[in-house]
Amino acid sequence: MKRNFLYILIIPFLLLMPACRETISSPQVQDNRPEIFPDYVEVTVPATIAPLNFRATGDYSKINAVIKGSQSGELDIQDDESIRIHPKAWERLLADNMGGSLDITVSLKQEGEWIQYASFPVYISEYPIDYGLVYRLIAPGYEVYSKMGIYQRNLSDFTQTALLENTLMPGTCMNCHSFCVTNPRQMSLHLRGEYGATVLMSDSETRLYNTKTDQTISACVYPYWHPSGKYIAYSVNQTQQAFHEIKSERVEVLDLQSDIVVYNRETNKLFSCPLLKSKAAFETYPSFSPDGRTMYFCTAEPKPLPGEYNHLRYSLCRISFDPDSGTFGNQVDTLINARELNKSVSTPRPSYDGKYIMYTLADYGNFMIWHREADLWLLDVETGETRALTEANSDDADSYHSWSSNSHWFVFGSRRIDGLYTRPYIASMDENGKVTKPFLVPQNHPSYYETSLYSFNVPEFVSGPVKMDVREVEKKALSKERIPFLMVND
Amino acid sequence: MNKQIQYTGLALNMLFGLCVFLFLGYFYRYHLVYQEQFQMFLFTSDYLAETTHKPGGFADYAGRFFTQFYYIPWLGALFIALLLMLIQRQLLKIADNFGKKPAFMPLTFIPSLFYWILLCEEHYMLAGVISLVMALMAMQVYMQIDSKRLRIVYALLMLPMLYWLAGGTYVVFAILCILLEINAKEITRMDILLYTIGCLVLIIALPLLARGIWGQYPLSKLWSGANYYRYQTIFPSTILLLWGTVILVPVLFRYLPSFTRPGTKWIWTGALIMALGFLTNKGIIRMADWQKEEIMTYDYYIRKQQWDEVIRMANQKTPMSPLSVSFLNLALCKQGLMSDQMFRYFQNGPEGLMPSFVRDFTMPMMAGEVYYHLGFVNTAQRFAFEAMEAIPDFQKSSRAVKRLAETNLVNGEYVVAGKYLRMLQHTLYYRDWANKTWTVLRDEKKIEANPEWSHLRRYRTQTDFLFSEQEKEQMLGVLLQQDFTNRMAYEYLMAYCLLTKDLQHFFSYYPLGKEIAGQQIPLSYQEALIYIWGLSNNDPTTIPYPVSADVKRRVQEYGRVYTNYQNSEPMLKNQFSDTYWYYLHFRK
Repeated sequence: MKRNFLYILIIPFLLLMPACRETISSPQVQDNRPEIFPDYVEVTVPATIAPLNFRATGDYSKINAVIKGSQSGELDIQDDESIRIHPKAWERLLADNMGGSLDITVSLKQEGEWIQYASFPVYISEYPIDYGLVYRLIAPGYEVYSKMGIYQRNLSDFTQTALLENTLMPGTCMNCHSFCVTNPRQMSLHLRGEYGATVLMSDSETRLYNTKTDQTISACVYPYWHPSGKYIAYSVNQTQQAFHEIKSERVEVLDLQSDIVVYNRETNKLFSCPLLKSKAAFETYPSFSPDGRTMYFCTAEPKPLPGEYNHLRYSLCRISFDPDSGTFGNQVDTLINARELNKSVSTPRPSYDGKYIMYTLADYGNFMIWHREADLWLLDVETGETRALTEANSDDADSYHSWSSNSHWFVFGSRRIDGLYTRPYIASMDENGKVTKPFLVPQNHPSYYETSLYSFNVPEFVSGPVKMDVREVEKKALSKERIPFLMVND
Repeated sequence: MNKQIQYTGLALNMLFGLCVFLFLGYFYRYHLVYQEQFQMFLFTSDYLAETTHKPGGFADYAGRFFTQFYYIPWLGALFIALLLMLIQRQLLKIADNFGKKPAFMPLTFIPSLFYWILLCEEHYMLAGVISLVMALMAMQVYMQIDSKRLRIVYALLMLPMLYWLAGGTYVVFAILCILLEINAKEITRMDILLYTIGCLVLIIALPLLARGIWGQYPLSKLWSGANYYRYQTIFPSTILLLWGTVILVPVLFRYLPSFTRPGTKWIWTGALIMALGFLTNKGIIRMADWQKEEIMTYDYYIRKQQWDEVIRMANQKTPMSPLSVSFLNLALCKQGLMSDQMFRYFQNGPEGLMPSFVRDFTMPMMAGEVYYHLGFVNTAQRFAFEAMEAIPDFQKSSRAVKRLAETNLVNGEYVVAGKYLRMLQHTLYYRDWANKTWTVLRDEKKIEANPEWSHLRRYRTQTDFLFSEQEKEQMLGVLLQQDFTNRMAYEYLMAYCLLTKDLQHFFSYYPLGKEIAGQQIPLSYQEALIYIWGLSNNDPTTIPYPVSADVKRRVQEYGRVYTNYQNSEPMLKNQFSDTYWYYLHFRK
């Protein structure tokens, strides 16, 4: 009797379910493609990416998408608001069509009529992508910050987990998370405020350091790991923020002085060389070549600040480095000359295959996320040729970027959606340096980016999940015991 | 007789509610308005999920739900009064279970009165009241269960649920359950011991278990759960004391004497009412901050652009704090009275004109109004953003989001403005404004038709410069240079020079305002001009500016006293404290 009662309840429900779905017969066909958000039209995605859920812009009462694989498989999804694809079905469709494409036909029901738009492809790359991303979520504010944290995101699904949030230590700012060639077991992270420290996480342990020494301008910032894991290069800066009054600009972040230092993890010593801490220049944003024998960095001729903030331009330079002895060469080569170009370079990031250096170029300064004109550029290390990544750039700020471990993907922060909130975009690059249209990291709910009040700062690829012992970090941070960095004089 | 006291209790409860309602809804209403702006209650499933996902989250959610009604102070006060009345009725029921002592009924008002006093401080959150109501509700259900076994099962099941819903008050519930069983003597001592151990284990284990799920909170926060206080790192001991009274009052009912003589009962009841009334009065006097209430009132009128009210308030009592003086100056300027009347009121330097940025959640929110109306749109936007980010319990602010929407709209950043408007569309009291503003987004003609926005677009700076606290004079100069008909910029520039006592710049800027001021020179300018003239001319009456005869007469009189007496300030105060000369000589 009980079972019969259950059937009575369930059967009509199941019968009614398909009734909500409309069959689209003889729709009005349009030649143009639909306007969807996020814009996934003609993007190239890895075969393990989470479902590309989207919605159409404008008003409609129903949306329908037919997703057909170039090799096999088809999905037909209909909803009142957005296309949200079943993860398992999506996973299968991507796997079956790797190297091919998906053809997506969107139909919208507008004023009682179905309109079918021209289909668009989504290409499925054969290049694998890393496990996920690590980024900081923070409101794009000025000097004060509310809730923030460092999070990791599995790119195969929508799972985002907090590595560290400032709810644990109120008032603490956390930034500059960095990994040794996407290795989730070798990570560094800065805490600022009452519990300030640099957290260094390695396979065996987590240690908290005080990176400010009497001989350096400030605590260490902007880390970049040497590929061996033995060294971490940092910049030390005296930073100041300033605020524009004109409507098209907001914030300026200035370095009043800056040097580059390198930390030797084995000896706990910090060292530099006169060419990297010159009084006659600002040096910042160090990074190592994948063979570990060259350091790239940005350098600028000092200007009276903040008055001449818009005349401060950074060049891209390199200096040789001997990882065995931990010493630098005695010559600096200029790769991109700011004075000649009348532009400024920031955050050089060599690809891990050694072929390219990706950097941000803007009119002046080095903190490019607040520069609308900031674009990504690519330098071919072998030929010395450099070009703007027009395939990936937008009219708004395109800035902080990071390579995947196989150097076939790069992630970067862009403010192209609204001009203020930074969102993570991923694009691929083939053996010949051909770059595809970037895609916005998909979210379960397509409106996520429109409603979220957080910016995605410093997106970094990680090859596996980061396993941070939050309790250990909390305990050590609260203890206020720090291992001091020791500066070696030149 | 007991019935009479019972009715008296009901009447007292209503009287108490009325007092709370009148006090918070009328006398102290701007504290409520002030609190409302530091949250943004959204009618969305995401907001519900985000708020309720952690221990005590439901109390937070309900607290924020009721706090949004503070926008209309009497409505907010009504909800607070009802909640505090409910706590008293709940406690009376629990106390009766320990022993019916009608004469001591006023004691059951203690936690409600205590909370009333605490709520006079703007940082005590309503979530704390809700959390307590929830624990007492759970207790009331407990008392309804006849079967002792069922009662215990209920309590042990309810504890984790209450911990998740209400947060820290699950401890109050657990202790009351144990005490009630001890009092009822229905179960053996051994059972009570086991029951106590069971409750203790849960009390200790729940936050520890929660730590495995909500690892990003310190243990102290997981223990307290809901936000009882705005500052996350502070759990006031007063809350513990208040919980103590909730536990102690019913226990007292077990031990207090039962009076048989009606007279004695009434004497005790009356004496307790008097004592509690006296103590509450003392507590409120100690806790209520009327200086803050004054600033909050100014802020409210400024926010609502009720300039006349600001001036009316200042006429009743001269504002003294830099913030309230800056509000008065803004109101005077908006009404075209600043240059004539500003020295009629107390002035405390340039901070009372254009307050500097402070890294907190209150000051930038309020001071941003001055910059907004002056046309420093980016600064107003920054102040609003920073104030919102500084809110200690990580909430967002409807008021700040509204200002962010406005400033982005004025700056033509329509996508960002739209983002903020969409959020406000999910609020109760900002929805209408957001819906209305949504319709003008990207419509330049409609935006131009809005007097406030078109004014700001006309006068905002077209030349880029970096905001500098030390260069406000130059910033005002840039605004004025752009449009010499910008009366506010001119008056603020002149006032800035007067307040910084920079008469050289005042004199050089003075001619810039010819188009604005016309032939009539404002009083404070007349006073400054005649003073400057007097520095190089023996006879101030020969001044070649149209200075009134009264000013000429007064400056001579002032000069006579000032130069002839060493300690002239007290002599000049009565007659000349409303002049620029008095400010120049005697104000820092």
